[in-house]
Amino acid sequence: MKIIVSVKWVPNTQIVNIDPRTGTLIREGIPSIINPHDLNAVELALQLKEKYGGTVTAVSMAPMSAKAGLEFIIGMGVDKAILISDRVFAGADTLATSYTLSRAIERLKPYDVLIFGQETIDSSTAHIGAQTASWLKIPYIYYVTDVEYVDGVVRVTRRLEKRIEVYELPIPCLLVVAMKSYEPRPVKLSYKLRTKMENCIEIWTNNELGLIRECIGLKGSPTRVEKSIATPSVPRKKQKFDGQDVNTAVKWLVDKLIEEGVKIA
Amino acid sequence: MSGSSICPDWEPINKDEWRGVWIFIEAFDGEVNEASLQLLNPGRIIADKIKTDLVGVIVGHNIKHLVNEPIYYGAEKVIYVDDPRLSIYTPEVYAESLITLIRKYKPEILLAAGTLRGREMIPYVANTLRAGITADCTDFDVDVNTRDLIMIRPPFGATLLAHIRAPERRPQLSTVRPNVFKLPKKDTSRKGEIIEEKVIIPEPRIKLVSSEEVKIEEVPIEKAEIIVSGGRGLGSADGFKLLEKLAELLGGVVAGSRKAVDAGWIPHERQVGQTGKSVKASLYIAVGISGAAQHLFGIREAELVVAINNDAQAPIFENADYGIVADYREAIPALIEEIMRRRNK
Repeated sequence: MKIIVSVKWVPNTQIVNIDPRTGTLIREGIPSIINPHDLNAVELALQLKEKYGGTVTAVSMAPMSAKAGLEFIIGMGVDKAILISDRVFAGADTLATSYTLSRAIERLKPYDVLIFGQETIDSSTAHIGAQTASWLKIPYIYYVTDVEYVDGVVRVTRRLEKRIEVYELPIPCLLVVAMKSYEPRPVKLSYKLRTKMENCIEIWTNNELGLIRECIGLKGSPTRVEKSIATPSVPRKKQKFDGQDVNTAVKWLVDKLIEEGVKIA
Repeated sequence: MSGSSICPDWEPINKDEWRGVWIFIEAFDGEVNEASLQLLNPGRIIADKIKTDLVGVIVGHNIKHLVNEPIYYGAEKVIYVDDPRLSIYTPEVYAESLITLIRKYKPEILLAAGTLRGREMIPYVANTLRAGITADCTDFDVDVNTRDLIMIRPPFGATLLAHIRAPERRPQLSTVRPNVFKLPKKDTSRKGEIIEEKVIIPEPRIKLVSSEEVKIEEVPIEKAEIIVSGGRGLGSADGFKLLEKLAELLGGVVAGSRKAVDAGWIPHERQVGQTGKSVKASLYIAVGISGAAQHLFGIREAELVVAINNDAQAPIFENADYGIVADYREAIPALIEEIMRRRNK
């Protein structure tokens, strides 16, 4: 089974802080990581390889610094990674990103299963899986929690709001893994050392992909961020009790809640 | 200029041919999804500003009894496809049916609810049409001269709202999370035009083997009256046990911020905020939540907001009605005790 998994290199929003004075994001010194929801996708890919044999190739469109992230997932057991990196890809919206990714994936043909994370922690659109399926014209399904491969058919379980569904997909197909569904395994040093010994990370620029400049990056993006304006805030009473004694504080709070008509007692 | 005419597979667009505001109305299990109907609210405003029709679009099977619903909530027209081949949802078949309708009628705008199915199929629709799409919009405006939809969403971590346009392509697509807009007033005396369409529905390439309804025991947070919500300041999943005690005492439920969800302390379906859910609680108690713009967005409709945080400078205090600067590990047990004491009086 030839498996391709797509990962994104994102700022680690879990440690991003808001500056209390200005209310803006403190970005300095924030390291990037592989999008945690994509690690669930990597884990599924590795489990499928263990069960059914084959290879796992990762693709990522990112600046060169993402090499560190690709070394991390090679450390998890990914065989090979393609870093799609070129200035001309910068500024891409989800349509242009998925276009570039899909052209890279085309070059990796034949493949059986493409695996994507559900969404990213920095933008949360959940677009890329469906858009890549649209470019490649292959069947797809979201929110996958379990996968079996029997007689050339991929059988997946997925969870919706109020349903558990089982679907069968032919190969090639694209699966979007549900968040938190496949706990990623730890990195093995011996695997990670491969990145020093072998050429398991390939860099593809647009020289390799040969895409028309008008169709990639900012130029190939139908959407434009026009401007940003301040968020209007909801008027609130803003009464704050800042004292030493917590018992006094909660008494004050309960009094206020009762005044507001909250049925406490 | 983006190269619509140069890029392979991009159909050229004559913007003047594209008119009308469409709302994709999800109808499964014999019901119309309320989150879809809510979008008739911003849809009505946009359509009036650019003087065009507001249209509800339904694809599915056995849906004829639902086709008047969008009219009752403000649409002047409904276009629907009722076909047994749509009795089973698969993203590709539903998306392709909608794409066929879009190619025929050429609406300039399409809004869809950001439900799990909506988030699965709408990006495919947009991409196949090489159209611009934005996710999780929190508001809209429209440029009456260019008829560009202004799609408004807060980017992660920012206190600024991004205004996004897709000036060269049509339709312009957006998804919106449930409860971001209020359901318009229902008026069953409203009349509108109902159009039944037949479309060629592709053979499904994927097969539904089974579908089982699962029971959800907890009250979903978007319906809860009282919510005790935890953030990164809790420090661990254990912190939520204290919040659960308080929630139980108040007859409420527990929710969390994005950071609490990312840390794995609480499931995603209980996340409050722009990328989670919007809540309408009468009392919202934010514990150890700093108050990022995305989170504040999710509690706009909360009546009364209480903040408990040990950081006196946390932005949440500027966005709360009542706040206590304290360590929650002391404040929550003290609050529980105080409530018990008053009840026993």
